[in-house]
Amino acid sequence: MKQQSKLTAKQEQTVEPQLQAKAGHEFQNSDELLRFDAEQTVVPPEIAARLERSVQKIAPKKSSGWFARIFGGNNL
Amino acid sequence: MNEPVEGQRVESRPSAEQLPAVFAGFYDEHSRVIYYLTLRYLGDPQKAEDATHDVFLKAFQRFDQFRGEASVRSWLYRIAINHCQNLCQSWHNRNIFANSDDAVWENSAARTDSPLRVLETKELGQRIQKALNELSDEYRLLLLLVADQEMSYDEIGAVVGQSTDAVRGKLHRARKSFAAHFDKSK
Repeated sequence: MKQQSKLTAKQEQTVEPQLQAKAGHEFQNSDELLRFDAEQTVVPPEIAARLERSVQKIAPKKSSGWFARIFGGNNL
Repeated sequence: MNEPVEGQRVESRPSAEQLPAVFAGFYDEHSRVIYYLTLRYLGDPQKAEDATHDVFLKAFQRFDQFRGEASVRSWLYRIAINHCQNLCQSWHNRNIFANSDDAVWENSAARTDSPLRVLETKELGQRIQKALNELSDEYRLLLLLVADQEMSYDEIGAVVGQSTDAVRGKLHRARKSFAAHFDKSK
């Protein structure tokens, strides 16, 4: 079911106009362009640190140090 | 890579002791797509950072409400979409996007290897954001969801509360509209 829907999506994409970007990349359709954009996007590491602090406030016994242990960052 | 979750679904409800590890696995696996959705939907890296934090905090607080009927990713998307829509309503304006100046975008992290690449990626991102900003909230949201290759039309329909056929039809129009605005932004 899922694969069928994706196949349909790909088929529909073939009729979309090609998108050219100044950077020299050429994309077949908007989905491909946005996927490329998403792949270039890095989640700021500050979010994980903030999240750990926030979780500790609401569940200190459950969460103490778990983000840092799991992600292994000294600054988390 | 943490793998406390098998695939996309929670097969059994974790105990209180297991929850932190399970949740960290969720963050590890889904934070990129949630951050990307909030970044391009809200059009502001700082607000996207805040929103991503808030979405995962809500997910942690509400984990006992997660029934496992949908994928974890779909569940997180629903929380993120509701959060972003509430933010937009409370701001009462769309002009927020026009205030996203270069200084803000320079703080947006990008995976790059060279200075030229940085420039290119930033420019491309700005053009994409401008084109997305020209679309309705609904079209923008559908395009961002379908950009996630793990999301089928069926799943997108479930997330936005529309039929698969409606999603397909609207996506067709959204893609055409986006392409037209993107070309104009050259």
